Amino acid sequence: MSEAALLSARDLRAERPGDDGPVAVLAGIDLTLNAGDVVELAGPSGAGKTTLLLALARLLPGVTGDLHLAGVAARDIPAARWRTRVALLPQRATLVPGTVATNLRLPWELQVRSQDEAPGDGALRDALTDVGLGGVSLDRDASRLSVGQASRIALLRVLLTQPSVLLLDEPDASLDDASAAQVARKTAAFAAAGGAVLRISHVRADAAACVRYRLEHGLLTQVSA
Amino acid sequence: MSADGAIVIGWWELTLAMLFVLVTGGLSIAMSLKLEKDLAIATVRTYLQLMALGFVLRWVFANQTWYIVIALMLVMITAAARVVLKRAPDAPPGLFGNAALSMALTGFTVTFAVTALVVRVPTWYEARYVLPIAGMVVGNSMTGIALAVERVFSDMESRRDEMLAMTALGATAWEAARPSVRTALTAGMMPTINSMAAAGVVFIPGMMTGQILAGADPLEATKYQIVVMLMISAATAIGAISAVMLMYRKRFTDEGVYLEKGLRIQGRKPK
Repeated sequence: MSEAALLSARDLRAERPGDDGPVAVLAGIDLTLNAGDVVELAGPSGAGKTTLLLALARLLPGVTGDLHLAGVAARDIPAARWRTRVALLPQRATLVPGTVATNLRLPWELQVRSQDEAPGDGALRDALTDVGLGGVSLDRDASRLSVGQASRIALLRVLLTQPSVLLLDEPDASLDDASAAQVARKTAAFAAAGGAVLRISHVRADAAACVRYRLEHGLLTQVSA
Repeated sequence: MSADGAIVIGWWELTLAMLFVLVTGGLSIAMSLKLEKDLAIATVRTYLQLMALGFVLRWVFANQTWYIVIALMLVMITAAARVVLKRAPDAPPGLFGNAALSMALTGFTVTFAVTALVVRVPTWYEARYVLPIAGMVVGNSMTGIALAVERVFSDMESRRDEMLAMTALGATAWEAARPSVRTALTAGMMPTINSMAAAGVVFIPGMMTGQILAGADPLEATKYQIVVMLMISAATAIGAISAVMLMYRKRFTDEGVYLEKGLRIQGRKPK
């Protein structure tokens, strides 16, 4: 493991039930994400891309293998604390009932961040403007947002918590080109500030990606550097 | 007529009551509802089960001991726990102990609180009071508990995406499940609250009706009914809260991940 490795996975294995018994979705994955990396992950539908992200975020039961965060083994970090550092943004942006502000401050309502201070209204408005949502009021009910707006707010909610690693499951799948470019700019800035990004891409390739992998038959293959 | 003024129903009158079922059965046949077989079985069960209960209670009242009373309460609690789980198809397996514990907690505490503090029975295991009150406590709270248990698991399944997003942000199992727990407890309590609000206006409650038919003074019957309704609301609340709090966590792994349908692998215990 290199000194700069933020997140490393060794021999990750996971199965899912198939018609003729268990099927290996992850068949011994090795992956290292360094500070500043934007890594793109592609592969056919059902190949296990989402499964890999869930495994890295410790959101999948039954996974075997070793995970380290900044050199510390996963078993030495409580799962909830791990997820504050290795943040997954699921593909379906899901907001809780309430306003935009309620949703953006949700992470600070959780016990794991009870000692941290939630961002103020000014910081939230700036963040909204930064992803092209300057016209969305903090008081707007989340149920009145479009799918594209909701997905950007879900991304902001994760980014505001300042994790070390971002795991993005097709973050631009429901966005137009302009909004997708804003998301790509945001994630590139996150990596430039010392974070690492692993994102699944189906629709568009991320120009900022330093490495591209393809996941097929449970194994990763580097497509380009 | 009995000594206390109640009109006694004889065996002939009891048989005559079958006419109601025959009319219903006839309607079912005429309208091709195909309910006649279920109706016949249900009628036979009603006669047999309630007659058996009458004989058992008569024997228990005459030969009451504390262990017979407790044993009968345990039979009620066990049967109720089975019903609770049967009505919750989304519940994970292996919850019978939790259901029985919740039913026992509410059944014993509320029953003996009422018999000792409100009715003030001379002997704590006085079967004539303890068993009917336990029956009402367990039977009525069972409905609310079953509703709450069914709802907590179905609501969590419908909120699985929201719970994944919350867990990914660092939420504990309790934080992710809390909205579903609230929904479930509201659902479990609502029939009891509605029933309390409608009592005496929309309907005359069953126990009060029974007492009046048996010759009791309506005001005395009212006092008993108020105690019964308050006791049922407490029993439902205690039972539903304890059952839901004991059970919701079974759908999560030790690391707080919700086991949605796709993650439940048969035969493998989640780590």
